[in-house]
Amino acid sequence: MTATPAAAANGGGPRNTGAPTGLAAMKVSKVGDRVFLGLSSGAAWLIMVVLAGVAIFLLIQAAPAIGANWQQNAALQDRTSGFTLGFANFWDYVSPLLFGTIWASFLALLLGAPVAIGIALFISHYAPRRVSGILGYLVDLLAAVPSVVFGLWGIVVIRPFLGPLNEFLNSYFGWIPLFSGDVAKGGSTLLAGAVVLAVMILPIITSISREIFLQTPSLHEEAALALGATRWEMIRLAVFPYARSGIISSVLLGLGRALGETMAIAMIVSPKLIFSVQLLTNDNPATIAANIANKFGGANQTQADALIATGLLLFVVSFAVNLVARWIVGRTSTGPRRRRIPTRKAA
Amino acid sequence: MMTADVQANQPPAPARTLTTGRLPRLIDVWVALGALVAAALVFAGFGHLDYVAGWLALGAVLYLVAIGILASIVEGRRWATDRFVRSLVIVAFLLAIIPLVSTLWTVVEHGITTLTPQFIFNPEKTQFDRTTFKTVLVAGVWPAIVGTLIITGIAALISIPIGLLAAVWLTEYAQPNHPVRKIVTFLVDVMTGIPSIVAGLFAFALFSLLVGPGTFNGLSAAIALCVLMIPTMVRASEEMIKLVPLELREAAYALGVSKWRTIVKVVLRTSVAGLVTGAMLAIARVIGETAPIYIAAGYTRTAFNADPLHGAMSTLAVVSFRNYVDPDPTQPAVTQAEAWGSALLLIIIVVILNLIARLVAARFAPKARR
Amino acid sequence: MKITRSGSIAAFALIGTLALAGCAATGGTNTPSATPTSKVGLNAIDPSLTGTITAAGSSAQVAAQTGYSAAFASVATGVTLNYNPEGSGGGRKDFIAGALDFAGSDAPLSADEATQATATFPGGALDIPVYLDGVAIAYNNKDASSLNLSAATLAKIFSGKITDWSDPAIAADNGGKALAAKKITVVTRSDSSGTMQNLTNFLGGEAASDWAAGPNLGTLPQIPGMDLQKGGAAVATEIAAVDGAIGGVDHSALGSLVAASVEGVKLSNDGIAEAMATGFAIKPNSTPGDLSGGFDYAKIKADTKAYPIPLVSYAIIPAQFKDAAKKKLVVAYLEFIASADGQKAGATKANSAELPDAILKQVVATLATVK
Repeated sequence: MTATPAAAANGGGPRNTGAPTGLAAMKVSKVGDRVFLGLSSGAAWLIMVVLAGVAIFLLIQAAPAIGANWQQNAALQDRTSGFTLGFANFWDYVSPLLFGTIWASFLALLLGAPVAIGIALFISHYAPRRVSGILGYLVDLLAAVPSVVFGLWGIVVIRPFLGPLNEFLNSYFGWIPLFSGDVAKGGSTLLAGAVVLAVMILPIITSISREIFLQTPSLHEEAALALGATRWEMIRLAVFPYARSGIISSVLLGLGRALGETMAIAMIVSPKLIFSVQLLTNDNPATIAANIANKFGGANQTQADALIATGLLLFVVSFAVNLVARWIVGRTSTGPRRRRIPTRKAA
Repeated sequence: MMTADVQANQPPAPARTLTTGRLPRLIDVWVALGALVAAALVFAGFGHLDYVAGWLALGAVLYLVAIGILASIVEGRRWATDRFVRSLVIVAFLLAIIPLVSTLWTVVEHGITTLTPQFIFNPEKTQFDRTTFKTVLVAGVWPAIVGTLIITGIAALISIPIGLLAAVWLTEYAQPNHPVRKIVTFLVDVMTGIPSIVAGLFAFALFSLLVGPGTFNGLSAAIALCVLMIPTMVRASEEMIKLVPLELREAAYALGVSKWRTIVKVVLRTSVAGLVTGAMLAIARVIGETAPIYIAAGYTRTAFNADPLHGAMSTLAVVSFRNYVDPDPTQPAVTQAEAWGSALLLIIIVVILNLIARLVAARFAPKARR
Repeated sequence: MKITRSGSIAAFALIGTLALAGCAATGGTNTPSATPTSKVGLNAIDPSLTGTITAAGSSAQVAAQTGYSAAFASVATGVTLNYNPEGSGGGRKDFIAGALDFAGSDAPLSADEATQATATFPGGALDIPVYLDGVAIAYNNKDASSLNLSAATLAKIFSGKITDWSDPAIAADNGGKALAAKKITVVTRSDSSGTMQNLTNFLGGEAASDWAAGPNLGTLPQIPGMDLQKGGAAVATEIAAVDGAIGGVDHSALGSLVAASVEGVKLSNDGIAEAMATGFAIKPNSTPGDLSGGFDYAKIKADTKAYPIPLVSYAIIPAQFKDAAKKKLVVAYLEFIASADGQKAGATKANSAELPDAILKQVVATLATVK
């Protein structure tokens, strides 16, 4: 009679190890719970403070540049670096950059995300079991490559590689606006940049998607197969609905990488401040991050603030995209739902 | 009588075996070969047979089209779709392997000859000759290796536990409408896209405020890297922890296990492989950063500095970048080789870290795993 | 090889002993006035100097700084230079923030920046020329083994008015014979640089009617088809890779590329030094001793031996140092740079020109006034 409550209060399972039992065990777990809760909520608070601090710092730095009268501000009209000359105001300067960032990231996602998800599917559901671990590791190796190397690789391999393709697309498909214009002889095209960006975000999307696909409840999968579904139908019925939230998160992380990618794009693409959708020319819209990397070294204090202000806009883009994505996930996912955490009444 | 005659006059129905109505086993291989040959012929016709990638790509497209049509004729729509998707997925995988092999091959090809013990274990030296007034640069990246390990190590040591704990709080403790949770989620979403140079500026400004104007040190660079790592870590960990089935947690609670023990021993252990993946992704992203490092930690070419609190530090990524962008006018080959060599070293270091991480994950993961 | 090595070692030992003896004789201080006049350049360096000099800025100077510091450290072995080639603007920003011992910059502090600098350094800041080189017009055209371009033609090419190599203006500059038709691709840097500043100064001065954008621009105005690359080395590589390309690069980044003659003058170190001697004029400045100045391109054009597009780069230091030991170190280093030995060491490493003696004398005089 007395054994049962004691065993129940024992912290779970047979314990012969001299660990505290009974009320002592309950005390330990209460303390342990409090400590752990404190640690984890402390971590969340710390992150909130730090990231908010970063955002506020950037806002403070950037505000003078956004509000300044660009036509008359001596520092902005300074010719030594000259990149803020001739713009009516901040929005005049940043709008082609914003366009370039969104366009380049969109292209990279278009090229990279489907391939990445396909690879994740292959590793989790199509590859022979023994090999999938090694294959997963191989793709993770791509994540190990630093962006400087991707820049170098883009210059040494991708640019010459795409050369014949550029010529081909321009001569036969030049009537499509994407492929029109004067082909860049050196290959510093947005297409080359988008291809390299796609390769860079591929491992992020693949590794997270792969983990998620592997976690699909096998009961669901086997039920689908037992009903006579083909492998693809099983994936469509059992895996995708479960994984939708995770796939979208992984794509967003990949997008985040694409938006913030500085060096590789700066090294590969010939950047200008224009609105253009031509993929094969030297006149490519610059991205915000690459523009900061290029111009920061020569900028005076106010110009640097203007560059930081453009960086802030990236936050807005990031936030908007994430908002849309979370809305999509909230409406359609049948996977692991966010549920109310069962609160443990103090025992 | 009538039926028996009718039955006797009809040819016997063909026996249905398991392979009736299905394409033969190695059909994929044959169609692939055929498609490649056709593509090669097309390219030869245009006179561009040397553009290997071109006819491989065309071959892949032809293969997909051919197998799709063939399968839908022989096997029916559902199986044709299945076969088509399988081929698509295999092509996607091959498509990923190509840039991987190409990147690794490019770096190895350009950098392997530079990796001598002299290069790896010595700092960079400049030798000045008084008679000819020539300065000879002898490449060496040992300070950069140490700098990489110190700066990335500190950043990882700070970001990974914090990111993990925060993700735990977000998924296990916080109610969906908790204001702090909403703010943290918002900030993490917004910060995933931060350009790395901006993080470096923040760290530099922070240390200028706290320590004194113009402080360059390794810790400052590590803080900049933390700002970059934390959103990735939190986001990835959140997704992995969410995947742990509710049943496992409830089983543990039902047995009377306290909440924190459940989280640590059940939830985190189950998702350890995914968490390690997330951590490695975060590390791999920042170990290759250049701009935040040279803004926050300055740049040094020859000095060895293992003190993260005082003095400039360089990392392999910065060394590689600088040698590429500002090559030595009288010894361009040396700086070029140094750029590729340090890039290769960086990849090797990350590969080793990745291996260690996977071994750790395999050790701690529950046995019954796919 | 062996003989030279042991010879140098013997020379070091001799110089070291002499320097030590000299130091002992003068009581350990090494101010210019106390040094005997026979000790110049390498011999004037105090081997007991130690410390780290933190500097940043212009990437044009970085190779020269490697040469200067290697030579300096061969005598004063305890001295290290950390020079971060983040760009002239970054160098000036960090200097104003008080993060650097000196900044390397292709442009002197602007009036705005000089005012900001007085907040950190009450005595103000001094711009001192330390590096001289020229802007080479590199091109890639197999049809033209040698090429001459006038200022007007260059202005038209860089502003996009001339787009083909067969243009009569180019032919006119080259004895009337037109080149084969080929598209011109202008290659330039995506980041701002002193190279472009000096080039646009030249174009604005000598070809103002064709160069609408004006002088002293760190980045060229965008023209359709312009190919921008990150860093001077990448510009040179791109020019080498693209048939029909032309661009302005640092003389030291030329490598195996061919440079065009400008206004009939071939690119050479002597031509650049001649231009500096003839055309450099120090601008009147509020801070006494400040040596920032500009080029008078009319005078340079009148001198047929002078290369028309020189480039000078400065070191920016405070007029008053806060730390006496730091001041001693930095001033000694800059004095070495301003010596014939120093200039030679830097020029040998960077493939650049050397500042003429007249300027070096003024630099030494300014350094003597630093407190």
